Amino acid sequence: MQPTDGTAPASPGPLVVAALSWADPRAVVDPLSAEVTADARAGASAADRCALEHALRLAPLLGGRCVAVTVGPADADLLLRDALAAGADEVLRVDAPVVRDPADDGDTTAAALLTGLARVYGRAPDLVVCGDHSAGRGTGATPAFLAARIGAAQALGLLGVSACDGVVRALRRLDGGRRERLTVPLPAVCSVEPTLALRRGPLASVLRAQRAEVPVVPWEEAAGSARPGVRAGAARPYRPRARLLAAPPGPDARARLRELTGADVRPAARRVVFPDTPAEAADLLIRHLVERGYLEGPPGPGDGESF
Amino acid sequence: MFDVVVVGAGPAGCAAALEAARAGRSVALVERGPYPGAKNVYGGVVYGRVLDELVPRWWELMPVQRWVTRRSTMLMTGTQALTVDFRTEDWGRPPYNGATAFRADLDGWLASLAQDAGAVLVPSTVATGLLRDARGRVTGVSTDRPDGDLTAGVVIACDGVNSFLAKEAGLFRPEPGGRHLTLGVKETLALPRETIEERFALTGRDGLDLEILGCTRGIPGGGFLYTNLDSVSIGVVLGLPGLASAKVRPEELLTDLKAHPAIAPLVRGGRLTEYAAHLIPEGGYDSMPELVGDGILVAGDAAAMCLAAGIWLEGVNFALGAGMYAGRAAAAAVASGDTSATGLAGYRRLLEDSFVLADHRKLRRAPGLVFSERVQRQYPGLVCDVVQGMFQVDNPRPKPGLRRLLTRAARDRRVRLRHLLSDTLTGLRSFG
Repeated sequence: MQPTDGTAPASPGPLVVAALSWADPRAVVDPLSAEVTADARAGASAADRCALEHALRLAPLLGGRCVAVTVGPADADLLLRDALAAGADEVLRVDAPVVRDPADDGDTTAAALLTGLARVYGRAPDLVVCGDHSAGRGTGATPAFLAARIGAAQALGLLGVSACDGVVRALRRLDGGRRERLTVPLPAVCSVEPTLALRRGPLASVLRAQRAEVPVVPWEEAAGSARPGVRAGAARPYRPRARLLAAPPGPDARARLRELTGADVRPAARRVVFPDTPAEAADLLIRHLVERGYLEGPPGPGDGESF
Repeated sequence: MFDVVVVGAGPAGCAAALEAARAGRSVALVERGPYPGAKNVYGGVVYGRVLDELVPRWWELMPVQRWVTRRSTMLMTGTQALTVDFRTEDWGRPPYNGATAFRADLDGWLASLAQDAGAVLVPSTVATGLLRDARGRVTGVSTDRPDGDLTAGVVIACDGVNSFLAKEAGLFRPEPGGRHLTLGVKETLALPRETIEERFALTGRDGLDLEILGCTRGIPGGGFLYTNLDSVSIGVVLGLPGLASAKVRPEELLTDLKAHPAIAPLVRGGRLTEYAAHLIPEGGYDSMPELVGDGILVAGDAAAMCLAAGIWLEGVNFALGAGMYAGRAAAAAVASGDTSATGLAGYRRLLEDSFVLADHRKLRRAPGLVFSERVQRQYPGLVCDVVQGMFQVDNPRPKPGLRRLLTRAARDRRVRLRHLLSDTLTGLRSFG
């Protein structure tokens, strides 16, 4: 493990970083209150796990080492221990509160990651591999900001990444099922789609990972040194969009509201039917929907099969 | 090489790991899910007093949804329901009684206690078999990880119902599959907290535990409904042989239960957030395996320690107790250098002296009675008919006497009074 006292260890070979997003990809958003319920134990998204697998494969091919990094609270250590168990050489967490500045468009996160890496390794990464979308419903712009900040090439939507003789080659998905082969110069930031499963680490790695100390760089230290960069506009927590309904006719707002809510409509009496066959049941259902205006009227004679 | 390897980070496994680690032993806690509780399912109520020995003032730390202050038992037919309802404020303050909790939270908390004591959690790892030495003594487990053998002085199998490790160790008696197993299926339905409080007459963190008999179309089993903070857990538990012969899917029965006139108003508008199914070992004392082998102990559901005795449906507390004693016995055996079945025999003695086997032995006849044909198919209707007759006013006819009502209901429900008497006596003997 790396020391947390700020000393930069010797750094042989390229630094290959798997940048993992700590977010619950299955977080539930209440449609009414927009309250987000996330599980801190959710682990990395499929794309991020794929990014880690690519980083694990690329590091030895480039003669470097693989470092898994994330930004998050102490719960995010689970994510990094998984990375260690899978074979990451080192990990680093930039300690950040669960709820960060909603106006962060990804630039602050990118700056914090790079500052944290510089703090521990004394250098910028040579290759950063990320998942190709924001599992936390963020802007998805963090990789771009990472690339901008270290002056790296950026490749997006990658289906595969490999390295040979120190050169990174990638396969990119294009529209219409086309593919594009890229030669990516280092330093680079590559965003990958979830095409690979993360390897299962050997038991000894899992045991070591559970006992390992995760180096931490405080958020204030990492993000505080971020210089103002390109701002892409404020990003807010995810909110479901309001449903648009056409206003019904009415002389005034009150009447339209009453019409819209059905306040003046006498509710139909409940009717219980006992059809003998599925076909008869289907007919009854369709007739009911037609009566209520949800469906067009029944086709006339000769329009085809009876409904 | 660890002193103790515990397989399964459920309540039994966590308690075992906690006790062994506290005793200074090196402990690995192997869990197949990505985190403790990720794969675990139960009805929803845990009785925590057994934690008094493990965690002082546990109620201040345990991740609880609601404290059960209202305990109800409902007998139902298709159109009737009779509920016996009890509530007490005593269960709403320390040291409390039962609580609803989510397994992912509860197991995670228990595992964190074990980790704090020094146990090493090994997540996302399945124990695939036992390692043995030349004499056949268990010396560890193999896992599905590369280079995944984990050696230990003692293996504590807490790998849940249908324990492959206990079976591989030869601790289970061969018998027809599934006879002592039930299948529990449940849904978690989200409801606003205030709606739950209104519908179930609850305030604050008070909760309801409702057990139901007669909701399974005659398949041996029952139903339940528990209140969480902002959701309810509703489910049915079905005997496997009965379910198989009835050729009905369990979710149909759960749908029936939710549509029953006595239940539908309670769950109306609930948004389904989780569906879960799990086997439950409800055979009780007589279906338990050998609990000790050379180098291996069995605890929790793996040892069939779920108590299904009609009015008592408990599992987590028995798992916690058994795990605790297993951890102690394993640590003592490692310390003494004798991890053979003889050296581990203290586990059985600890269980015998505690509620774990005392309750199971005392109630060993209860599962047979509770799952019997008459209790499942006939008695709910009989009781409901008698109560309906008592409260139905048929003027100008005079009120019928209780004996007449009972005779009429027994005739309608085809219950022989001598069977009723016999079952009453069996019940008295069973529940002592």
